[in-house]
Amino acid sequence: MTSTALDRPHVGDSWLQGLRQSTAVPRMLAIVTFLGGWQLLVPFLPTEQIPTPAAIAAFMLDELRGDTVARATVYESFAITFARLGIGLVVTFVLGTAIGVLMGTSRRADAFFRDLVVGLLAMPFVIWALVCAMWFGFTFTTPIITVVLAAIPFVITNIAEGVRSVPKDLVDMARAYDVPTVRTLRRVIAPSLMPFMFAALRYALSLGWKALAVAEVFGASSGAGWVIRFWYTSHRMTGLFAYLGFFVVFAIVIEVLVLKRLSDRVFRWRP
Amino acid sequence: MTDTRSARGGEASIEVKDLRKVFSSSTGDVVALDGVSFSASGHSFISIVGPSGCGKSTLLNILARIEEPTSGVAALTNKEGERARLGYVFQAPRLLPWRTVLDNMVFIHQNPTQEARERCRDYLRMVGLETVEDSYPGQLSGGMQQRVGIARAFSIEPHVLLMDEPFSHLDAISARQLRSELHEMWMKTRKTVIFVTHDVGEAVELSDRVVVLAKGGTVKDIVEIDLPFPRDPSDDRVALLKADLLRRFESWREEVVAS
Repeated sequence: MTSTALDRPHVGDSWLQGLRQSTAVPRMLAIVTFLGGWQLLVPFLPTEQIPTPAAIAAFMLDELRGDTVARATVYESFAITFARLGIGLVVTFVLGTAIGVLMGTSRRADAFFRDLVVGLLAMPFVIWALVCAMWFGFTFTTPIITVVLAAIPFVITNIAEGVRSVPKDLVDMARAYDVPTVRTLRRVIAPSLMPFMFAALRYALSLGWKALAVAEVFGASSGAGWVIRFWYTSHRMTGLFAYLGFFVVFAIVIEVLVLKRLSDRVFRWRP
Repeated sequence: MTDTRSARGGEASIEVKDLRKVFSSSTGDVVALDGVSFSASGHSFISIVGPSGCGKSTLLNILARIEEPTSGVAALTNKEGERARLGYVFQAPRLLPWRTVLDNMVFIHQNPTQEARERCRDYLRMVGLETVEDSYPGQLSGGMQQRVGIARAFSIEPHVLLMDEPFSHLDAISARQLRSELHEMWMKTRKTVIFVTHDVGEAVELSDRVVVLAKGGTVKDIVEIDLPFPRDPSDDRVALLKADLLRRFESWREEVVAS
């Protein structure tokens, strides 16, 4: 508290010091280096098939303005994609939680499902997209089924693990005080599952998102993945990269804006 | 206020008869309790002491109906002969880390009414923690968390208070302070308390009866302690009794080792 003028930095200095210590600067630097390097390198590349970041950004802006030669606007396409992702994740969590709870509570159920789940985990999800396209055709549901198949083993294993690690001492405490079962479920069991739910959600989102893109490219006639295929078949590399860009940006937006906020809220009790 | 409080806790009677508990596992049966009997009524403070693995905690868990006895009776009844309301202070605080201190206390109330909240606040004040009611357990020290656990147990105004080595995880100074606070609260509310400890000194300072369990879960001895409260650990009579009990305790242990 009794620092002298000598050892206390000026206001201007502290601002600079804050900037120096912040990780935002290296992060920005990484993006600038990457995009700048790309932009500068393109003229020297022996191919016409790699557009500059500036051209991609311009294309993305045009798309966002609704100015497109594709059959659907970027909004329509991503609305379909997000609807599929949403439905796929809901189905995944309903089924995955049911099986996970079963595996976590019964040793027989665990023995029954364990190898199947491990097998499912080992399946490359890209293959599911092809298989589903062949089975179900180019329908609205094909990508949804792919999302479920790709994401469900992670949900099952996480929920099962969560159920196994429900804090018995807290459940016993509730029992000693005759706390009603519904309240124990809501206030003890459900919150103790939340970290596992979040881990499952993270995996399901990132894998489901990738599986969805592949499934739409190979097995759909609508959605953002389908638009990527459209640009591919019409040899418009800029369009392809622009949609890839949308996929990446949306994934980051979901992670930062939705998941991060949700987890900050749910885990605000953590010291 | 305190007067109606103490009346609300009411009297209780404890009846433990031929209690036996066997845990079966793949490696064979383990007898945790074998023919344990004792009874008490009124405002007694009963300590249960014994070496680790003698079934102390199992006994409390059966009384709290967390575990079922293999055979025998363990009944806690109030004055009207109904099942007594129980407060349980565990070895670890056992608070829900995701609920605030006050919500943790309200959680165990059958009807989480505004009145129950107020009563929880009263007991939180009694343990000197009224300022942290909105904190999460993880923000408190171990001693403070244990205090919340004690306040929680008192807040439902139980007929019987079960305590399972509630101070064993604390440093010596916090333990001593909490022990005297607990004693004060007991003097004020006069609950029937069953207090499990492996610390003979603690048992002598706090209780008017000590039930000694031996390894194998049998009752070795029941010692009545007729000394006035508060008991100063440096008081000659307290120290003498402590030494005497410890000596008997040691010889019991040797017997067990010899057999």
